[in-house]
Amino acid sequence: MPTVIACFKWVIDEAYIRRSPSGDLDFSSVDYKIGEYDRNAIEEAVRLKETAGAKAIAVTVGMPEAAKGVKDALSRGIDEAYFIADSSFGNLDSSQTALILGEVIRNRIEQYDVILCGEGSSDLYAQQVGPRLAEQLGIPCISFVQKLSLAKDQLVAERRVEEGIEVITSPLPALVTVLPDINVPRIPGVKDTLMAGKKPTVKITKDDLPPLSEPLLRTISLTSSRLERSCERFGTDAAEIARFVGSLRKKGAIG
Amino acid sequence: MDFKFTEEQELIRNNVREFCVKNVEPIAAEIDENSRHPAELFEKLSAGGWMGIPIPQEYGGAGADFLTSIIVVEELSRSCASTGFTISTHAGIVCTMIHLFGTEEQKNNYLTPMAEGRHLGAFALTEPGAGTDVMAVTTAAVLDGNDYVINGTKTFTSNGPTAGTYLVFAWTDKSAGRKGMSAFIVPREAPGFRVGEHFKKMGLRSSQTSELIFKDCRVPKNNLLGKEGAGLPMAMAGFDGGRIGIAAQCIGILQAALDESIRYSKERIQFGSPIARNQAIAWMIADMATDLSAARFLAYHAAWLKDQKLPFSKEAAMAKLYASEAAMRHTVKAVQIHGGYGYCKGAKVERLMRDAKITEIYEGTSEAMRMVISGTVLR
Repeated sequence: MPTVIACFKWVIDEAYIRRSPSGDLDFSSVDYKIGEYDRNAIEEAVRLKETAGAKAIAVTVGMPEAAKGVKDALSRGIDEAYFIADSSFGNLDSSQTALILGEVIRNRIEQYDVILCGEGSSDLYAQQVGPRLAEQLGIPCISFVQKLSLAKDQLVAERRVEEGIEVITSPLPALVTVLPDINVPRIPGVKDTLMAGKKPTVKITKDDLPPLSEPLLRTISLTSSRLERSCERFGTDAAEIARFVGSLRKKGAIG
Repeated sequence: MDFKFTEEQELIRNNVREFCVKNVEPIAAEIDENSRHPAELFEKLSAGGWMGIPIPQEYGGAGADFLTSIIVVEELSRSCASTGFTISTHAGIVCTMIHLFGTEEQKNNYLTPMAEGRHLGAFALTEPGAGTDVMAVTTAAVLDGNDYVINGTKTFTSNGPTAGTYLVFAWTDKSAGRKGMSAFIVPREAPGFRVGEHFKKMGLRSSQTSELIFKDCRVPKNNLLGKEGAGLPMAMAGFDGGRIGIAAQCIGILQAALDESIRYSKERIQFGSPIARNQAIAWMIADMATDLSAARFLAYHAAWLKDQKLPFSKEAAMAKLYASEAAMRHTVKAVQIHGGYGYCKGAKVERLMRDAKITEIYEGTSEAMRMVISGTVLR
């Protein structure tokens, strides 16, 4: 029986972020959700469970509050979860997250065939955790996947690349980062949600892990984007076009 | 005191919301306009296990608490009050009553298929001459060998045209007064039973409503629910839960009215600025949000009491009374905020206002609610 691992991040639901009059972002009444593309990763793991008889495991690193996210993942058809939680894990950067995930997958999950990640997280969309995790584990990484199937000892993936669609095979185990087109995540029924808490969850704390590495990324500030519109008219002769280019330069729109 | 939902309740709310945005919201205006029962939607609701939420899993339900079922009715009603109500009357009253009072055989034969969503249930008490005055019911059932023979006409039966199982109230001993009415489980295919035409209503139009005609309708003796003469107390118990369901429906309507009013008043520019900047509009929205909160706490509290197996009749009546009158009052305001646009088909607030009106009438009018509440507090 193949084992498929889906990694997910419990992120702020952007629909609840408000912009205060001063331009700051107001997070005071936000709700959380499983990142959009990570839901596709979870759905794909469950689909492989249903089509290829795989065991579906979910892994997440985050704040203790993400326990609700673990239940959410389990309600979507995941068989068991690994929940790595600490109150200091709210703002890990991608390198730290990948290190922790790698550590847990290497030492706690003996045998696995496919690791699925969303192409990027809903909050930062750095697209870093998947490739970094593959590097940690020394396994192939296949990104931008829109279709996936398991065959004997290998996987077949359709990648959407700029030139078109690339179909590749990879030996197992391998890490796959998925695009939203790969599937339509199911909406769990009431019973699925009620049963989720009864499924096995392995809780891992900071003390169970080696010391955390320094972050490679530092957040200096966070503000909402502002859209400024202005209207200026230009003619079509050479002098006017020169004036147009000059105006764009002045506004910093071009270099 | 704890005002927190469980993680499961919060997740279920999010899931049903997502379901509604994908499946209910896009058809809500059409099924209202055409007064159509969306069978395709109910198939999806059944597949997701949303049809028997408070019924134990051994009888085909989800085995959730009553509060969870209220959250689901609220979120469904936020998109379509008809859909929320259809499920509320089906699961919250008919399924719940058979679960509470039915024999093992009745539960297996009738409750399980309904809780699994294979067909709908309908509650049939009201008659042309018997609304709030339930004693004026004329439908009667007579034991004849191994069958009861039912004669009479029911009206305004919600889910009448679409149900597969009916809970029908009839006199078995009129001389016994309040102890003379009994409840029967009538399958749609029972001989002598006929469903009348679907009524065209002002609001709640996709919820199907009809007369039911019983002409020497025969049901097996075993289809008596509970004991002979126990009909009225059972109906009252069913109503108590049902009223919390109506309150939840109203909360959904109110939330939708608030959502629409906030969105529109921020977008609509008059005299050079959004109308939300006008205090007259802002205060309407403040009152709407406040009454919505108050209605929520009344309804959740009543549902919590029911889950704790504590008395909740008065609280259910209060929640239903407050929420329904708030829904009516504020959907009128929501149309006012939308001006001419709100008066036209296509504006959601126009449908909300029509849907709100019935909540002050059915499952106990506002007047009947005040009778229940005053009867309790003046005792």
